[in-house]
Amino acid sequence: MAHLAAPTGASLESRVRWLAALVLLIFGGFVVRLFHLQVVEGEALRQRSQKNSVRHVDLDAPRGEVLDREGRVLATWRPSRALRVIPNDLANRARTFAALGQLLGTSGAELDALAGPSKGLARFRPVTLVEDLDWERLARVESHGYALPGIETFEQPRRFYPSGTLAAHLLGTLGEIQASQLAKPQFAGYRPGDVVGQTGLEARYEAHLRGTLGRRDVVVDAAGREIEELREHPPAVGGRLVLALDKDLQEAAEAGFRDVPEGEPQRMGGAVALDVRTGDVLALASYPTYDPNVFSSRIDRGTWSALTGDEWKPLRDRVIQNHYPPGSTHKAVMAAAALQEGVIDLNTRVYCPGYYYFGGRRFQCWKKEGHGSVNVIEALQRSCDVFFYTVGVQLGIDRIAKQASSFGLGAPTGIDLPGEVGGVVPSSEWKLRRFHEKWYPGETVSASIGQSYNLYTPLQLAVAYAAIANGGHVMKPRVVLRLEDRDGKTIRNFPPEQRGISTVSPANLAIVREGMTAVVESAGGTGGRARVPGVRVAGKTGTVQVVGLERLRGIPEEQIPIRFRDHAWFGAFAPADAPEIAVAVFVEHGLHGSSSAAPIAQRILAKYLQKRGLSPVPPAPAQPPPHPAAPLAPVQHAGGSPAGDAAAPRVAARAARP
Amino acid sequence: MIAVDRRSLQHFDWPLLALVLAILAIGLVNLFSTTQPLPPPEIGVASEFKTQLVALALGTAGMIFAIVVDYRRLERGAPLLYVLALAGIAATVLFGVEIRGNKSWLRLGPLSVQPAEFAKLGLVVMLARYFHRHPPGEMRRLLDLIAPALLLLLPVGLIALQHDTGVAVLTLAIGATFFLFVALPWRTWALLVAIAVSGMVGTWEFGLKPYQRARVMAFVNSGSGDSLGSDYQAIQSRIAVGSGGLTGQGWLEGPQNRGQFLPTQHSDFAFSVLAEEWGFAGGATLLALYAGLLLWGLAIAANSKDGFGGMLAVGVVSMLLWPAALNVAMVLGLAPVIGVPLPLVSYGGSQLLANLVALGLLMNVSMRRYVF
Repeated sequence: MAHLAAPTGASLESRVRWLAALVLLIFGGFVVRLFHLQVVEGEALRQRSQKNSVRHVDLDAPRGEVLDREGRVLATWRPSRALRVIPNDLANRARTFAALGQLLGTSGAELDALAGPSKGLARFRPVTLVEDLDWERLARVESHGYALPGIETFEQPRRFYPSGTLAAHLLGTLGEIQASQLAKPQFAGYRPGDVVGQTGLEARYEAHLRGTLGRRDVVVDAAGREIEELREHPPAVGGRLVLALDKDLQEAAEAGFRDVPEGEPQRMGGAVALDVRTGDVLALASYPTYDPNVFSSRIDRGTWSALTGDEWKPLRDRVIQNHYPPGSTHKAVMAAAALQEGVIDLNTRVYCPGYYYFGGRRFQCWKKEGHGSVNVIEALQRSCDVFFYTVGVQLGIDRIAKQASSFGLGAPTGIDLPGEVGGVVPSSEWKLRRFHEKWYPGETVSASIGQSYNLYTPLQLAVAYAAIANGGHVMKPRVVLRLEDRDGKTIRNFPPEQRGISTVSPANLAIVREGMTAVVESAGGTGGRARVPGVRVAGKTGTVQVVGLERLRGIPEEQIPIRFRDHAWFGAFAPADAPEIAVAVFVEHGLHGSSSAAPIAQRILAKYLQKRGLSPVPPAPAQPPPHPAAPLAPVQHAGGSPAGDAAAPRVAARAARP
Repeated sequence: MIAVDRRSLQHFDWPLLALVLAILAIGLVNLFSTTQPLPPPEIGVASEFKTQLVALALGTAGMIFAIVVDYRRLERGAPLLYVLALAGIAATVLFGVEIRGNKSWLRLGPLSVQPAEFAKLGLVVMLARYFHRHPPGEMRRLLDLIAPALLLLLPVGLIALQHDTGVAVLTLAIGATFFLFVALPWRTWALLVAIAVSGMVGTWEFGLKPYQRARVMAFVNSGSGDSLGSDYQAIQSRIAVGSGGLTGQGWLEGPQNRGQFLPTQHSDFAFSVLAEEWGFAGGATLLALYAGLLLWGLAIAANSKDGFGGMLAVGVVSMLLWPAALNVAMVLGLAPVIGVPLPLVSYGGSQLLANLVALGLLMNVSMRRYVF
């Protein structure tokens, strides 16, 4: 710029050079910084970018199927769609919930309360608002999805029990995992909100049934909206459970409780049927029952409190979780014990005048006028109390206890279900341990007819009767035949398991079987209502007093409040000569084993024997057929106590039964 | 005189035009991605993109006009332009529309314009004229600076009234660039620095809104990890830049961009997206083009035949330099988050139009360097 020699020129040029240096410095610095961020720190920042925009969505796996022994589905799954909110993504919380409430026909404020906080880390966690949306509400929500940021529907496979209440207690319930469960090692990998088996087989085989979570990786924008799916690992359905249960027998057992004759109260109790050869649990029913489908999603408060607050506790499995005094069903065990200990033989006769004196106290036979001279067969057939008072006293409590225990009574059977309780077989040692008191011989009298401290679950009785039937083998009840994978390939077989053998010899058991057959098949037996056409059935009735009789004196049986009525038992097996199936039925407050429990057992046995081709299938299944060989034995209604076995009380005050 | 003689045409600054067109092209390609209206993988043309094309057409016209008119005529018209600029800002303060907390927009029928962007141009022309008539090399007393300082502080103060801190600071920086050419003794410089520092402290205490202070503090404390707090924009920008790597995620493929994790990715954070989708290769290319443009502009200033042309060229360079430097520094996490667009690249019609006219003036000065 020679032509511009003005003072400004030199200054301008030099300052411009400074400025150019500044530009180079700034932009050079930028390039260095850019290189540092993109190349040096690039990998780390790229990973943060992935984390930023890729969201992992777990996909719930359907639970595996539960099948009966013939492959019929007892539990499966069905697809459903649920609605959830991610509080963080809500654009206008109040307005969104108001609109959502309108679409769903519920209160927006209630949904809002469910949704959890919009602050803190919790706001990123999806909260399920409504499960199992019906088609109409789903369509309404989906069509307005664009206006409801933060609200989304998602696939949620649901447990489905196609037969409703059938085998509810055996199958069990599902429920949201509890905080205490999450802490346990067996629930490693579970997340809060997961639904797990809480009772029954659902709980016992949770790990097998659960299935494998799927996962979707989706790209989301800053508002959490899904932009693109990167990959999806579909969830895998859980493994299959093949049960020993026979759905037909289960239906028969439940129908026995459900179908109450006009005017009679609802029957409550439990029934279990075992294959005496394998211990297979062919039926296991508890009443009152519930529909397990209500547990497969979030259960509403009303249903829950109705189920848990119910006086009769429908959620309890009365077959394995309740124990009861065995009443006269214990006499079969007593007879076996007395024969085995040599206290009696087939020819031993006892005279029953209708009462028995011991230690200056009078013990009543349920039949006031007495049974006369009876041997063990007749004593079982007619449930003579005096005969068993007499042999019981001769045996002594400890020999009774030893023999009874050898049938597996008073202890858990080891059934493959959670929550099984034990029971009590009283002995002098037991009483010392339990009450720090010696055993009084007088107590043996009541114990001889099962009205002492004895407490058995219906399942224990069934196992004991099965052992009487099969020659003394105490089988572990088998609920599950095998585990299969989702394609039906067997993963694990459960062979039958024998837990012990009775100390009673097969010959003596044969005598007991003869007596039990007479109970059902002979005129004058107490169990005539259990007869099945074409097959001989063996069994034993039982009645258990609930309150002292003097409180109920003079009240007609039908007017006694239900919770004060006697319990009813019936244990049976068939065919009597070559037993295959054993049944135990307990009817809470059912009054008499012969009238309320025996017919339920009959339905189960008849169904089994018909399926086996041993008994003709009746043309009209609704009507119980009369026995072809012998007509029904006339049921004794003396004193309103037909087959009453409950005369001997646990307390002295109960002794005087009218 | 609106005639262009053959001689001037012969000296037309083609390299400068090429640099400008290259930057504009990069800006448009990037804008197409940053304004994607549809969720991936769909692609659409956003209304912002079309608006920008209209602004580009207008800007090209403005640039041609700025090339054609002899810049020496501009010297005479400078006071008028300056007054118009002040009026525009004053009108914005009075009748402006508030968008995102800044009352910087003036509605003119269907158009929203940012008068402050044009005010920079008026200020640059006015200051160029002043320093042409009062050569800075002869200014040795502080008193000599009072008049130009007032010329500068008047529009800056008005812009500050709009609460547009970013533009106010930039306007101050652009104007202050002229003062670098003043031949003050070092003691006077020291005094000026002291005044500037106290001014900054005063601005911090009284001139900034709480969120602005939070952003500055976030910058100072950056790395504290609160990616959802005031640090959010800075962190998201850094993630976007870093994940670009050497060659980028690919055009229209940047997850940070398409996922809208970046705030205002089409305006203030346009460079973040460029870096994410084109990587170091793309980012460094743009920076190199920019540096080339600025250095070329400084060369024009040094080679201009008269003081006004030189000063005008310096002004145009500073009009591009400071916003670009501040914007890129912000994107790269070297400066706090201030709402400053990247000239020629970011979305924004007023900015594009004003800068193209300014570049037109630069070409004007360049091609007339041999004309007497």
